Amino acid sequence: MDLQKTIYKKLLPVVFSSTKKITIHMKSFVSIVILLCMFLTVSAQTKTIYTCPMHPEVQMSKAGVCPKCGMTLEARKITAKKVQPKKKVEPKKPVKEVEKPVQHSEHHNTITEEKKLPSTDAKKEVLNQATERVNQAPGKAVEYHLYITDAMVNYTGKLKKGFAVNGQIPMPTLTFTEGDTAVIYVHNRLNEETSLHWHGLILPNKYDGVPWMTQRPIKAGETKLYTFPIVQNGTYWYHSHTTMQEQSGLYGAFIIKKKANSPKVRESDLIPDYSLVLSEWTDYKPKNVHRMLHNATDWFAIKKNAAQSYAEAAQAGHFKTKLKNEWKRMMAMDVSDVYYDKFLTNGKPENSWNLLSGSRAKAGDKVRLRVVNGGASTYFWLKYAGGKITVVANDGEDVEPVEVDRLIIAVAETYDLVVTIPADSTAFEFLATAEDRTKSTSLWIGSGIKQLALPLPRLKYFEGMKMMNGMMKMNGDLDDMGMNMSLNQMDMNVVMYPEITGEAKKKGTTEPREVEIDSNSKKDAGVMQGMDHSGHNMYNSNAMSDIVTLNYAMLRAPYKTTLPNAPTKTYHFELTGNMNRYVWTIDNKTVSEADKILIKKGENVRIIMHNNSMMRHPMHLHGHFFRVLNGQGEYSPLKNTLDLMPMETDTIEFAATESGDWFFHCHILYHMMSGMGRVFSYENSPVNDELPDRKLADRKLFKDDRAFHFMAENDFATNGNDGMAMYQNTRWSINTEWRLGYTRHHGQEVETHIGRYLGKMQWLMPFIGFDWRYRKIETDHMGMKDYETNLFGQTNTKDNRRQFSLGVVYTLPMLVQAQAEVYHDGNVRLQLMREDIPIAKRLRMHFMVNTDKEYMGGFKYILGKNVSLTTHYDSDMGFGAGISLNY
Amino acid sequence: MKSIILMTAVALFSTAIANAQIKNATTETVKVYGNCSMCETTIEKAANNKNISKADWNEETKMATITYDSKKTTVDAVLKNMALAGYDSPKYLAPDEAYNKLPGCCKYERESKPVTKVDHSKMDHSKTAMKHDEHAGHDMQTQSKDQQEANQLQPVFDNYFSVKDALVKTDGATASAKAATLLLAIKAVKMETLKADEHTAWMEWEKNIKSHAQAISETKDVATQREHFSSLSTGIYILTKSAKSNLQVYWQNCPMFNDGKGANWLSKESAIKNPYYGSMMLTCGKTIEEIK
Repeated sequence: MDLQKTIYKKLLPVVFSSTKKITIHMKSFVSIVILLCMFLTVSAQTKTIYTCPMHPEVQMSKAGVCPKCGMTLEARKITAKKVQPKKKVEPKKPVKEVEKPVQHSEHHNTITEEKKLPSTDAKKEVLNQATERVNQAPGKAVEYHLYITDAMVNYTGKLKKGFAVNGQIPMPTLTFTEGDTAVIYVHNRLNEETSLHWHGLILPNKYDGVPWMTQRPIKAGETKLYTFPIVQNGTYWYHSHTTMQEQSGLYGAFIIKKKANSPKVRESDLIPDYSLVLSEWTDYKPKNVHRMLHNATDWFAIKKNAAQSYAEAAQAGHFKTKLKNEWKRMMAMDVSDVYYDKFLTNGKPENSWNLLSGSRAKAGDKVRLRVVNGGASTYFWLKYAGGKITVVANDGEDVEPVEVDRLIIAVAETYDLVVTIPADSTAFEFLATAEDRTKSTSLWIGSGIKQLALPLPRLKYFEGMKMMNGMMKMNGDLDDMGMNMSLNQMDMNVVMYPEITGEAKKKGTTEPREVEIDSNSKKDAGVMQGMDHSGHNMYNSNAMSDIVTLNYAMLRAPYKTTLPNAPTKTYHFELTGNMNRYVWTIDNKTVSEADKILIKKGENVRIIMHNNSMMRHPMHLHGHFFRVLNGQGEYSPLKNTLDLMPMETDTIEFAATESGDWFFHCHILYHMMSGMGRVFSYENSPVNDELPDRKLADRKLFKDDRAFHFMAENDFATNGNDGMAMYQNTRWSINTEWRLGYTRHHGQEVETHIGRYLGKMQWLMPFIGFDWRYRKIETDHMGMKDYETNLFGQTNTKDNRRQFSLGVVYTLPMLVQAQAEVYHDGNVRLQLMREDIPIAKRLRMHFMVNTDKEYMGGFKYILGKNVSLTTHYDSDMGFGAGISLNY
Repeated sequence: MKSIILMTAVALFSTAIANAQIKNATTETVKVYGNCSMCETTIEKAANNKNISKADWNEETKMATITYDSKKTTVDAVLKNMALAGYDSPKYLAPDEAYNKLPGCCKYERESKPVTKVDHSKMDHSKTAMKHDEHAGHDMQTQSKDQQEANQLQPVFDNYFSVKDALVKTDGATASAKAATLLLAIKAVKMETLKADEHTAWMEWEKNIKSHAQAISETKDVATQREHFSSLSTGIYILTKSAKSNLQVYWQNCPMFNDGKGANWLSKESAIKNPYYGSMMLTCGKTIEEIK
């Protein structure tokens, strides 16, 4: 990995802070602390490092050459050691006067570097708090400094911009013990705003880290202190909650150990453990990824070799399936939206853990992996080459150990897994495969010869397509055919998993399966009832193979999790979405379109969610644990992120015990940014002093899902210059098309439409339009003008035509866009159009025909993300070929 | 004569092309475990990546000469591909599933695979027995000797289950192959060493199960296989009941097969995985008897 950042930016503040620290600690009367600090400072001051003038991240203790470019390293004396999480552990100390309960003073939440005094005060205060906390819980203040900087990273052979904290991706693992007080200084050294959210942590609302909901963003150059008591234990994580920063490296593990004498300590708490942060990397800018998704790009599908074109369908013997798929107005479906260049284990495509330094793993040893899915939009399948995996905790909360062969970890979930090292001098592969199975990332556990795990075979996309065809009703709703799916027990995608349902059949060896999907489920529901099987198991992978896959129904809390006796408020959420336009909503409303949901402290809140969209959604609730009603009764497990597959219905409930505003949202970054979420707002909460102007805050908050996305395309062809530009958001669309001929006879034409998409599926869009056309109408030798007449006998006589129009576009089956338009002079135009018919992997066809007797048809061969070769025939301009560029 | 010159020219030309294909070529020789010429084909195919890497494996020395473009790949990546195809090297061990999939003649001795320490207290017997069949010897030590002697019919049962599993997956080719193995297992049974009950049952049913196993092995048509499997299951059922196996098995019933006449099968799991309809009707059926 090649991380670059400015050494000055990084090192100078540390110099400050370490000198600063001496004063602070001196004042804090604790001699041990002074000694500790002195020691640290002294050891740091004598340090000389050798660094490369080109690669400041190269920091060696000896002179030599840079391992990256071979330049001679320069000696550099620094007064601080290499920047890394500065963990200051305050030892237990005698309790001083405790008068007031723990309080976080307000004025120092945001400290700029210039104002050093308040920050000194802040630290003093923090120390006092720590001392104060001793009385209530014998914890300590644990302090971290996080420096967020720009970083140049190289995962693919190209240097790309990312973000790093303390010079690393992922962010450093923060470790605490239950009962500690977290004191975390976040130094924003970016040129943009940022924030950090502590995922899964129970903390005061104003430290939750959602910009414009619980705090002001941390502006460029500012420092913010997050400090809160640690009242739980387990594996959690933290990440930026600002724009798409999470995608570019701002994620890390947040580990809380149990207190040594806690009755909750189990065997799995005493074995060696390893924090494993899974994530993904794309060389594209995340903002561009988001834009491309909104513009229904199929570039990612091409990169994944999952375009699912007609030619590929025919080859697989699934031509009819594809036809039916388009008839039902679906575009090629996939289990993930984005193509990634690399998947990462703690920031590397492959990583290894040699266990405790020095001692080598012995056969039979058990170890614990604390797995965090810090990916922005990737689910990972987890497998271990050394055998079974025992799940001991989920989302930070302990569960009764359950042994499985594999599990899928949803975006933003955490799992604690215990695995056994079955043999000496072997490194066993812990394999995390992206759900779309394009790539994987590995952790080698142990050292020696590498024992591989069997990779997951490629998805049978057309089987999946067929399954979706069966489930999709013509109105765009999903029909679960009475299967009452929940808790990941039935995975519709098993039809695509060769390891469960067998290899894809070659063309010719057909099997009568088409009809069976329907008839089977009917039989299941009817005839088979009362037989010895639990309902409809046709998608239950555990019933279908020897492979045991974890599902939520298998999670059981080790202790009772029942809620206090209180009135219960129930909400029904329908998770809705539309892949074609990349709109993701709850009850077809984005965050900005919906009201905040008011809840009262003391009541219980129950949410029944149904996923009526075609993608899965990991729904995350901030600042609370919820119970998942999974059939385990009083021992229902506690979670903070719950994945819902398409068609699933799950019920969660939590006790409203906090105050303030808490975000509940889909944790797929691009879905969240599109507005898939709600805000739970406690009634009568004290005003959040960070955000005194709620209206302004809301406006800023809503900006994300109200954003417009731009796209443009222009075809430079031999017969003219055609193009279009679109500017769209969740509901509104402004688009303009132009056709610029090279001769006066061909003329020039620009059509602009402003419309609003209606309905959940957004198949209907009424619009107002404006047309401008200039064309020299030909005069024949008799002096008669050659007017054009449309199918309705209407003519237009003007060379230079300006027209307003009203119209409506509707998406017909086969994804054909039918458009009706009335111009202000009474002329009417009806038009049918279909773009991007996937003929082959990179070949697209399009056609257009209208009542002005114009027609057009052509092909496009996609060369790259932004370039295609085109050829088309146009009734006005004739045959042409060219190059099309798109943005 | 002309043709010889031509052939030589073509041969030279093609070698030239072959050599020209990989740029920045680096060659390394690494030991790759394997047995036969079939192994050679598989190993070389796994290493072959057009213009990037190729390998030449020597059956005698078990050494693979790997040529690769050092700017585009590494020798490790090539060895990893070989391991994923089922072949161990000093660097990588093949996944067990990949090794088990190798044809019988290719099942080389896995010298470099360290002995797996098995937690005996936790191993259940059905799994051990299954492993015995699949791993063909390399982890024989996990199975105690007297257990093998105790049940001569075990390989027959194990192979029956393999056929069943293949039918569950509607995989005619595998079912056929497994049935062939089953046939061998049936032939290998020494009737004279069977216990009294088993002996009687074997006398009565041997011919029947043999003929159906053979019929399944001779076709790849799943529908035909399933018909025979229905009869085969009856025979195996009787045998299981007579044999004092320490294996828990389940006698399960699909009421729909054969136009509603129904059919039965044996399974090691209580969960229903119907071999008569595959994924169409996988969990349809019920357990009608538990046999211990």
